[in-house]
Amino acid sequence: MEGIVATGLIGISLGAQYALLALGFTLIFGILGVVNFAHGGFYVLGGYLAYSAVTYLGLPYALAVIAAALGTTALGYLFERFVLDHVIDDHLATLMLTLGLYLMMSSGLLVIFGPQSPAFSFPLTGVLRGHGFYVPIENLVVLAVCLVGILSIYALIYYTDFGRALRALADDRSVATAQGLRPKLLFPTAFALATGLAGLTGALVTPILSLAPHVGDPVLATSFLIVILGGLGSIGGATVAAFLVGMVEAFSAVYLGGSKGALALFVLVLIMLVVRPSGLFGHRVRGA
Amino acid sequence: MKITRRDLLLAGAAISASSVVCGPSALAAGPELKLGVVGVLSGPAAQWGLALKGAAEFAAAEANRDGLVKIDGAPCQVSVVAIDSKYTAEGAAAAANTLAGQGVKFIIGPIGSPELTGLKPIAKRNSMLVMGNGYAKDALGPQWPLVFHVGPGPSGWADPIIKIAKQKFGIKSVVLVAPNDQGGTDIASVDADAYKKNGIAATEEYYQRGTTNFAPIVTRIMNAKPEAVDLASSPPGDAGIMVKQLRQAGFEGPIGRLGGPGYGEISRVAGGDPVLKDFYWYEPVLVDEKVQLIADEYKKLFGTERPENNLFFQWVSGTRMVLKAIAKAGTITDTEKVAQALRALPVDDPNVGSGHWIGKEFFGINHELSFPFGVGLVTDGKLQPIVPVEAATGK
Repeated sequence: MEGIVATGLIGISLGAQYALLALGFTLIFGILGVVNFAHGGFYVLGGYLAYSAVTYLGLPYALAVIAAALGTTALGYLFERFVLDHVIDDHLATLMLTLGLYLMMSSGLLVIFGPQSPAFSFPLTGVLRGHGFYVPIENLVVLAVCLVGILSIYALIYYTDFGRALRALADDRSVATAQGLRPKLLFPTAFALATGLAGLTGALVTPILSLAPHVGDPVLATSFLIVILGGLGSIGGATVAAFLVGMVEAFSAVYLGGSKGALALFVLVLIMLVVRPSGLFGHRVRGA
Repeated sequence: MKITRRDLLLAGAAISASSVVCGPSALAAGPELKLGVVGVLSGPAAQWGLALKGAAEFAAAEANRDGLVKIDGAPCQVSVVAIDSKYTAEGAAAAANTLAGQGVKFIIGPIGSPELTGLKPIAKRNSMLVMGNGYAKDALGPQWPLVFHVGPGPSGWADPIIKIAKQKFGIKSVVLVAPNDQGGTDIASVDADAYKKNGIAATEEYYQRGTTNFAPIVTRIMNAKPEAVDLASSPPGDAGIMVKQLRQAGFEGPIGRLGGPGYGEISRVAGGDPVLKDFYWYEPVLVDEKVQLIADEYKKLFGTERPENNLFFQWVSGTRMVLKAIAKAGTITDTEKVAQALRALPVDDPNVGSGHWIGKEFFGINHELSFPFGVGLVTDGKLQPIVPVEAATGK
């Protein structure tokens, strides 16, 4: 029983990290119809911005995290507004542009910071211990930020005019535009929101795990897997799928081992896609 | 005399033919010897590849400065062509093909087992001599007469390190953790055998390469209640996360890494030496004052610090041995003759020291350079001086 509780806690920690990663990814697809291959790049960039703010500017970690989120938000806005927006309806072009941006980001970070991980640790290092289980405090912080993030995104999308406008554009862009909504203003803002989330996640998670120019690769793969499992474009689906993946990964790795655990996860995704091709909450991909 | 179009064509053909054999600079100076470097220059293991590239460039610059390689009395210009193998078999095979297309006959690298596995058939087809690494169980063999190891694999150094760790920490059981590909399994399993031969119960755990959060694997390890954990050939970034998460999970025992250097990055990622607590690892070269001279010389030649990873020194000694063999054989094209000269050379480096050719017992061929090496230790959270170990023998 203790083992199950301990493994469940690990699953929740993993799920919280994955949920933060997947939210931005699914938001961009749901609203813009763009599969953002640069998502992992914004995650890494967020990590390096926070690291630079702490190391070179001497900012406290909390401010560095905010700076990283703002930095990736700004870059996301500029990229969408001046590059992506011109080809927003061409899926192949957006795919190539975001992939190209990711390669530029990871290569640029490699040139500037080198291939090795720098010393970048989370400021809170304690561990809460109970009978047969333990929870690092850093994981609790990520979990709290994840919950706040999910609730904020929900509130923004479903309870504000801005969110209604985004949903209207996602549903039927021509009708929404005829009603006076402005995609040229709203799309870059939505993209920026998602990249800011990725940057925030990078700033929070890389000091817990490790920071290096390549760490965006598995982030992209995991985000993709979660978003497909949850239903492309579904915020609720991505959240549930993130915690499901976290749990499956934790329990399968603990009880079956690292190799069989990874296999179990992909078998689950395969079965899910055969039984329900649109994913857990994906009634339809998107309207626009 | 009237120069006809035919004369011009013949002259052009003769010039082209001589360029193919000696390289373009042969027209101006001596023949050109191109050393191909195949190594991982990007991704999590890039520091290993950068050490390899830096070492080959250093040995080439040193040879050019001192005129160390002479063919028919003329000093040979040594140059380096480096290609990123991306730590994959297909990347290394593609790199070998590209080098073969450029007429390169000597390859320094690659580093990892998957790369070496991918590269060897291409190298054999093109009669290329390979001074590589790669700790796979079939990395060397009589069927690969032109493939050499720059240093011993775990079959050479695991036993002496385990003896030191056992004496220091009194280990009775260990769990070995490594990625679930050939680069992980072939090292962890040889390490495990060496632990068992020393009376230490050993079990192996493997993870999917690309894993970022090791908390579930750490829980599985904790459930096995080992006295020690060995991270084998897990990349330094992965190893650092595992060390940190093992300590968070309450693991108090020693942690080893019998797979290669990378202490600096592991310590940084884990959160410093106090988190490492008790830690031991294989240090391919004991960096004493004499070895440090290589780093000083590198700075003089290139104006920058040498690559951080200490594998750099091992690759310097390996590349020097290849250049020495080429000079002795007196050819830059007949790789079999160079291999013969290399096998006959005493294992000796002006900075790294003297050693032996080993590998006969494990691989069936004495193609491993074995120089003195070191064992790195952190005890009670404090970095200790590297323990010198004589060059491994008899394997």
